[in-house]
Order: sequence, then C-alpha cells, then structure tokens
Amino acid sequence: MSENRLLDRSSDAPVKRHMGLKASRTLANTSIYVLLVVISVVWLIPFICIVLQSFRVESTWQESYVIPKQWGLDNYRALFKTDFPRWYTNTFIAALFTAILQTIIVLCMSYTLSRFRFKMRKGLMRFMLILSMFPGMLTMIILYRVLSDLGLTQANALPGLILVYVASSGMGYYVSKGFFDTIPKSLDEAARVDGATRFQVLKKIILPLSKPIVIYTVLTAFMGPWGDFVFARYVSFGTSSGMNVAVGLYNWLNKDQIAKSYTMFCAGGVLVAIPVTVLFMCLQKYYVEGVTGGAVKG
Amino acid sequence: MASVKLTDVKKVYDNKVTSVHDFNLEIKDKEFVVFVGPSGCGKSTTLRMIAGLEDITEGTVEIDGVVVNDLQPKDRDIAMVFQNYALYPHMTVYDNIAFSLRLKKVPEDEIYEKVTSAAEVLGITEYLTRKPRALSGGQRQRVAIGRAMVRNAKVFLMDEPLSNLDAKLRNQMRAEIILLRQKLDTTFIYVTHDQTEAMTLGDRIVIMRDGIIEQVGTPMEVFEKPENIFVAEFIGAPKMNMMKTELTCENGRWYVNPFGAKIEVDGAKAEELKAKNVQPQTVTLGVRPEHMTLLFEPSANSIPCKLEVNEMMGSEVHLHMTTKDDTKLIVRVPTIELNEEQRKMLAYGRELYITFSGKVMHFFDPQTSRNLIYG
Repeated sequence: MSENRLLDRSSDAPVKRHMGLKASRTLANTSIYVLLVVISVVWLIPFICIVLQSFRVESTWQESYVIPKQWGLDNYRALFKTDFPRWYTNTFIAALFTAILQTIIVLCMSYTLSRFRFKMRKGLMRFMLILSMFPGMLTMIILYRVLSDLGLTQANALPGLILVYVASSGMGYYVSKGFFDTIPKSLDEAARVDGATRFQVLKKIILPLSKPIVIYTVLTAFMGPWGDFVFARYVSFGTSSGMNVAVGLYNWLNKDQIAKSYTMFCAGGVLVAIPVTVLFMCLQKYYVEGVTGGAVKG
Repeated sequence: MASVKLTDVKKVYDNKVTSVHDFNLEIKDKEFVVFVGPSGCGKSTTLRMIAGLEDITEGTVEIDGVVVNDLQPKDRDIAMVFQNYALYPHMTVYDNIAFSLRLKKVPEDEIYEKVTSAAEVLGITEYLTRKPRALSGGQRQRVAIGRAMVRNAKVFLMDEPLSNLDAKLRNQMRAEIILLRQKLDTTFIYVTHDQTEAMTLGDRIVIMRDGIIEQVGTPMEVFEKPENIFVAEFIGAPKMNMMKTELTCENGRWYVNPFGAKIEVDGAKAEELKAKNVQPQTVTLGVRPEHMTLLFEPSANSIPCKLEVNEMMGSEVHLHMTTKDDTKLIVRVPTIELNEEQRKMLAYGRELYITFSGKVMHFFDPQTSRNLIYG
C-alpha cells in the first residue's frame, strides 16, 4: 500500500512540476525578448533615419518625413565632389597607424607589467591609472602649442594627430595586463628554459593565447581616432585638408550649409559607419571575450 | 650530462625574506639528487636558481665548471619539468615537444625523428596530434617529460613533477621516472616534498628546512643515520617516535629507561656510544614505528600504553598510543603477525604494551637535537 503511494508520487507530481517550470521559463524568456526587441528598435531608429535620408533625392534639407519620396545615389555622388574623400583618407590613415602602433605599445607594456618585477612597478601602475582618469582635453592647449611649434597642425594635422593618439597609449595597459596575468607564469618559464627569449615568449606563447585581447586592443585602438572629434577639430584648426570625417561632416551642419548639405551629411555618416560595422561583425566574438576576458580566462 | 656545483648560494627576496642560506652542494655527473623538505623550505627556489628563473643573491652556481649566475635560462642548457606541466595549450603535443628544437632551428626531419622516438619511449605516440587539454593528467606529465627529453640537456630539473597526479598514477609514474633515468643517463635534480619519492628515486637526498641543508646522504644513510631529530622524523612514515629518557651506564653496559621500562642498548650501538665518548645523560630517544614490538601482556622491559587510534592499512596496522604522561607513540604491526583474537583486542582505550630492541635506537641531544653518534 505504502509502496503504491510512493510510486504514485514519483510518477505524477514531478511531471507536473516540470511542465510548470517549462511554462514559466517560456513566459520569462518571451517577455525578455519582447523587451529586448523594443529596446533595439528604439536604439536603431536614428540609424535607420540616417540611412533612409541619405538616399533622398527630392530635397537636401531636413524634412518632416523620413521615407524618401524619390530614391537615388545623388548624395553619395555629391560627396565625392567635396573634400570628403580627403577627410575619409585622413581618418583611415590616422586610425590604421594608431591601431598598429598603439597595439604594439599596449601589448608590450602589458606584458612587461604582468611579467617583469622592477622597482616602482606598482607605483608606476597606480600613477598611470590615476593619470588616465583625467580627461585628455585638459592637455589640449599645451598639446596644440607643442604641435604647432613642431609644424604639425592645420594642413599637417595628420602626423600630429597620430602622435597625440599614440603617445599616451601605454596607459591603456589595464585590460590586457589583467588577461596576461591569468596565463600561468610557468608557461613563460617553460618556454625560457626551452630556449626562448622574452620576446619569443611574448610572440609564440602569450599572444597566440591572447587572441581575444589582441583583437580587442586593435579594435579599440582603431575606434578612438575613427570617431575622434575634439582633438581632430582642434589640431586641424579650420584647415579643410587636415580634417577628419567627424570634423568635416560637422561643419556641414552649421547654419549656412545645413540646407544644402543635410542629406549629404547623412550619406557621409553611412559611409563612416560601414567599415566599423563590418569590422565589428567579423570580430564581435573576440571582442566580447576580450571585454570579459580580463576577469576570467576563457 | 654535467656536474653541478653550488657554492654559498643565498637567496634573499625583495621583502628581505631569506629563503635559502649558504647552500653548498656538489652534484656529480649522471647523479640523481633529490631535494626534499616541507613546503617553504627553499628547495624549489634552489632549483629555480639553478634553472635561471630566480636571481642568485649571493654565491655561485656552476654547471660543468662554468659559472652560470648571469646566464639566461636559455643559455644554461638545462631541461625542466614543472609541477603543473606548463604545456603550451595552443600547440599540439607534437609542437609542444618540438618547440625547443624549432627555436634551435633544427631541421624538420630531424625534429620528426626526435619527437617520434621520444613519444614512443613515453607511450604517447597516438596523442601527438592532440592538444594538451584533451589529455589526462598522466599523459600531460609524459608530454612535459618528452619536451624535456628531446633537448639532450646537460641537466634535467624536475620540480615536484608528480604532485598533481592521483596516488595510483603517482606510483606508476615514479617507476617510469626510474626507467627513464636509466635510459637518459644524465644528471637529474628532483624536487619533492614526498619522502617516499625521495627515498625511491635519489642516489643522494638533500633534506632541507627553512632554507638550510639538514643532511645530505644516500637514502639508507639518511634513514639509518639521521643527523638530527628533524631528519629522523621527516624520513620514514609514520614518523619516528621520540621519547625523553635517561641514558645510563652500569658496569660498562648502557641502558635507557623510557617510562620505567629498562632496556639495554645493543652491543654494537653501545660500542658506538663509547667510541663517540658519550656521557650518561638525558637524551631524546628515537625508535621507528616498525621497530617497536606490540605486547598484549606486560613484561619487565615493556612500556604500558593506551590505544587511541587503530589505522588498518591492510598489510599492516598503525596503532597510535599514548603513554601515562601523554607522549604519543606509533607502532606498525604487520597484520599477518596478529591472530583473529588479537585483532579484536585492538580497540579504543585498550591497555597494551610496547617494547623494542637495543639495536634500533637513535640518541639525540635534547638541547641541540643533534644525533649523539652521527650528528
């Protein structure tokens, strides 16, 4: 008798509870997804507006509607008759050089801070951390003085900008040092006993194991100059040939120009977004790993 | 294949902690030397100084007669096996083993030959294309050994290579290291905290404590002639029993009287005491658990004890006893010597008796803890 009751309980009740669990999980998931979809739509609206307006042909100023009445590539064609290609090239060169140089500097810096032990190592780290908390803009006036004395402003803004972007990149050691710290030191030691120099250890052992963090470093190094406005505007100082896209495009939004260049501005914005979007779509897997990688090794 | 010589080697860390004091040792060519001691005794630090992974604060390390203090690890021609294997996770087993050869720019066909023959010796041929994460602990350790093997280095360093393995695998790998050593025929320096490993592997054992060498000797020397109480207790398991007692001399015969039992020191031991000119005095008497005899009835020279813990190991029983004044003694009794009735009598709180022969005693000075005969 009692055995029967036990059997009953084990056959009925758990099944019911299981169904309940499944249902509530479905409900929770559904509501979460609905919320996420709403958020992403809200977030995407400005981008969609810009893309749509960049294809508008019937007028070049702001309109009260979003969907163009006449579609065409006029705005894109017009772009290439302005200084836009020059700005685009400027930005791309600055971003490319910064990405390469900054990645090398950051990775070497992080490896050094993670693996070498020297006097004032901790002090240096703390000092750089505090220093990096000050907004970079504080140094703007001094930097402009220095760059203009070197002749690296206005038309020559590009090398000046690269210098500014790369100069302080060592301070961005934090995330990659954290990642390197999670790689056991005995790997370095084994490699050194096996006959590797410190640089070979970094190249053959540490970097292959840190792919996500390397990609994260490249991406962030590329993104900084790509979207920079303040420094670029300051250093180019009104000279069109020294501007980057952000500064150049922004100038089209002033009172005198907005009526004839608003849709062109939108087209420019779309072109600026394309390489970054492609880059992120290809590398997002690593990027997410990189952002979270410092805490727990993947 | 090379000799290693350490002269007055000292290690002081940045925080002023001295981890190795004036370490002097000469390791002969093709010798297998084991550094053993409790954790924090400086044995790994010493090994890492030989490897070049730690700076040497004072003194010199010579490999094959060349002072290597200022040489990078890669220039010392040493091979090392680490406790956590330290395999390169992004490389296959083959690439792991080939790593050092590739750095030396050895031709690929020669690398192939060396790697496959090492893999064969270690029985890991079928895993050569796998990544380390797909291997078990024992297999990983074999890869780590393989990586060191192909180097043909002058000195083979091993830093607790077996301590991450489970007990069964550890015993198996220990036997394999003995075989490997015969095949490689090179100089080995092996660090462990496990006295069994030290005893079974080493030609000579270096017992360390707090950065100081306590004794250097063959396994039998350190077991039979421990120079001080630390070595006596560290080598052998369970550890040697220590008792405070009086060493007396009557008509040229020597006696000890632990806990009222009067036991005569055996002739040969008595001769040694005489030769060392030892005077009658209070001593710390050491007797190994396996040298004690269990009695169920009292006799003239027996020590009455109370049984506290009975550890049945299968082939033998470890009996933890306490004497009247709460001294703890351990006796190892082969199970085969006990009949069914006697086994039943080994119950908690039971009054039992211990005795031992005069041949197996060790005498230590209670103040300096030095061995009165060998110290």
